[in-house]
Amino acid sequence: MSQKRIVVKFGGQSGQGINTIGKLFTKSLNKSGYKVFAYREYPSIIKGGVASYQIDISNSSIGSSSKYCDILVAYTPETLNEYLPLVKESGIVIYDNKDINLTEDQDAFLKNNNITPIYLDSVSIAKNSGGTEIMSNVVVLGFVWKILNLKPEILVEEILEHFKKKNVDLEAEKNSIMGGFNSPTYRPELTDKIEIPKISEIFKKKSLVISGNEALSLGAIASGIRAYYGYPMTPATSIFKFLGETSTETGILVKQAENEITAVQMALGSMYMGTRALVATSGGGFDLMIESITCAGITETPLVIVLSQRTGAATGVPTWTGAGDLNTALKGGHGDFPKCILSCSDVHSSYTLIQKAFNISEKYQLPVIVLTEKQLSESLYTVNSLPNDLPIERGLQDGALRYEITDNGISPRWIPSKEKTVYIHNSDEHNEEGTSVESSEEVLEMSDKRMRKMTTLLEGIPEPAMYGDRNASIIFVGWGTVKNTILDIMEDNKDIGYLHYEYIYPLKTDKFEELISTEKRVILVENNQTGQLGNLIKEQTGYDFKEKLLKYDGRPFFIEDILNFLNM
Amino acid sequence: MSVNITDYNSKNIPTWCPGCGNFAVHTALKKALSDLNISPSEAFMSFDIGCNGNGADKINIYGFKGLHGRSIPLAIGAHLANRKFTVIADIGDGGCFHEGLDHLIHAIRSNYNITILIHNNENFALTTGQATVTTKKNKPMYGLPFGRIERDLNISEFILNLKPTFFAKAYSQDPLQLSEILKKSINHNGCSVIEIMQLCPTYNKEFTHEWATENIKKIDSIEGYNSNSLESAREILKDTTKIYTGIVYEETETKSFYDSLENRKNMKTELVDEVKKYDIKKLLEKF
Repeated sequence: MSQKRIVVKFGGQSGQGINTIGKLFTKSLNKSGYKVFAYREYPSIIKGGVASYQIDISNSSIGSSSKYCDILVAYTPETLNEYLPLVKESGIVIYDNKDINLTEDQDAFLKNNNITPIYLDSVSIAKNSGGTEIMSNVVVLGFVWKILNLKPEILVEEILEHFKKKNVDLEAEKNSIMGGFNSPTYRPELTDKIEIPKISEIFKKKSLVISGNEALSLGAIASGIRAYYGYPMTPATSIFKFLGETSTETGILVKQAENEITAVQMALGSMYMGTRALVATSGGGFDLMIESITCAGITETPLVIVLSQRTGAATGVPTWTGAGDLNTALKGGHGDFPKCILSCSDVHSSYTLIQKAFNISEKYQLPVIVLTEKQLSESLYTVNSLPNDLPIERGLQDGALRYEITDNGISPRWIPSKEKTVYIHNSDEHNEEGTSVESSEEVLEMSDKRMRKMTTLLEGIPEPAMYGDRNASIIFVGWGTVKNTILDIMEDNKDIGYLHYEYIYPLKTDKFEELISTEKRVILVENNQTGQLGNLIKEQTGYDFKEKLLKYDGRPFFIEDILNFLNM
Repeated sequence: MSVNITDYNSKNIPTWCPGCGNFAVHTALKKALSDLNISPSEAFMSFDIGCNGNGADKINIYGFKGLHGRSIPLAIGAHLANRKFTVIADIGDGGCFHEGLDHLIHAIRSNYNITILIHNNENFALTTGQATVTTKKNKPMYGLPFGRIERDLNISEFILNLKPTFFAKAYSQDPLQLSEILKKSINHNGCSVIEIMQLCPTYNKEFTHEWATENIKKIDSIEGYNSNSLESAREILKDTTKIYTGIVYEETETKSFYDSLENRKNMKTELVDEVKKYDIKKLLEKF
């Protein structure tokens, strides 16, 4: 079955309820048997501006957005201006705001592209249904639902379930939805314009509608974290929210620290004592944690930091996506010390890699940085289930010397307890006993021991995954959420393949070397300005990418970005 | 089995200058811990960078010498993970009031059950004598031939203004008093702050044992002093002609941070005991 997708975009002001509308719509579609991918754009302000919630709807699993939409719901004149150019040919534009007056240019755009504008008097419908003005939001949902020719019961049930806990008139809510659904503004030719994909019965199983940060948080809980230390920073903050809101059930200690340095230091203290503590932040907060990462490195204290990326240096474009923080994860920190970098790309890898991160961090006694992106952190995905849990591996081992010199670089580490030998973690260079040293021999001996862990770790992690047909002649190489866009395209393009780096550092290069030894067209694809993974690959293999597709405008890779690059 | 003070001895020889206050402070620490029958494997100390931190491998104890200014949050993380341990954060006046002042403020207001030992030797000594907030104004220091020009900060008043649940002052050359204070601070369920006026014969020559002996007044000797009263505490800290040592202020009304956590109320175990597979099936129901 080939992959079909139609796209509905809701545009309004920040704080207008777009997020709630989008989520309810997404969940209702999922319950109706569709696979969806929901993507948010919003400004870094509380009220106003232009925000959107785009839902790509498909008959098979998707993990990316199209740049263009079939139906645009514009709640404000500003969103209409912003998003009208992104409506597909033969699409529909719905607006319910009396202040919206189409300009001559917009009128011409509609006509030239056979786009149907619909004015829906949603406020009157809501009021006639016994509702309030705010219920006009669900009137519009009912109307769109009708255009999509879907069963209204599912939508009503989902919306009422959501508002049940809030102080609203549920009867009026229901009547408003149905008021929109049964509105005389509807005409059957609207449905004819939008070809909603047919779904086979096997797909009609209820799946999970979940964001990357939720999956990552669940993975962290499953892996036995008992503390979370954080400081608010988009787009990592929803990890704090999820762990906080579930802390009654889980018993996890959730602490909002006074800053990121405190958060990471608390984690170091807790990890030293032998529990598992999580820290999550974004670029700026991560930079503040870097000195502590070097401390974890030299003291061989396990540490796991989630770095959820957004766009740009300093404050940058704070509510938009990107994958430009690989360099800070990779190169940040003074001195040479072992570390590990993993990169999530979807719900499954978010759930699994955070578990892997704790295992690696404890077994190899080093800092692990788990990269994710706003695109993954906050978008909603539909998945049938989460993958199986990994077993907890802690690598605990009793010994006499905490920093014993070993062949594989890994020294014994045991949880501090009354019955066991005491030891010190020392940020000074130290000998096997942890005593500060400065002699040439001792400095070399311990530095070499520590760095041997990288060789051991490299043997223990997988090569990048190759996706697609063996005969595909165009191979993209990338990391992070660009994977989903390319995999979505590959459904219908057997000539495209993709080499995906999930374990970024230490870097595995065998599969890559094999790839470049063929005649295939190899293209680097990254959501940053300089091709940071490409530079790492070049550093380690000497290979200079001849073709690069780099995007760094705060937007994720849309389907069209890849297709246009290939002139498809 | 009772704990002996020598259990805390490390085989490493101290590297402090002759006459440094740290020798006696370490002795007081070891005495307090062994008097309380706390063994080296039941206590955790975090160390800062500075002369205090150079003592990290000179005491046999579970320890972590971390980064400059950060020994307080490091200690907090250790304490929250396992409250069976006695946790002490060691830090100097430089690390505490320059690099990591934010941590002191929030540790006190959060009231974690740890002891913070501030070694106040009135300068950054290990980096060879730069001015700190406690250095006497206009005293020539490293790189400052005319001394520090900024105003003084009375750190005792500063600490008291944060309403710590336990605040004491001590003098490095009176290890017996310090060890008694330490014992009380360890038994106090909350954040205890001890400011130790510490000799630094190399970079703070003006502060001598003779001067200290003449100018120190023990709080115990003040008739009618009420260590539960912020007013009494303010009075003595305002008097800069003397150094008052002893317990300045204490209260036991405020709950410790951990004891205030709703979701840990009925938990019998410590965070370190709980690392195991957690079934997320129930949590998935909300998706």
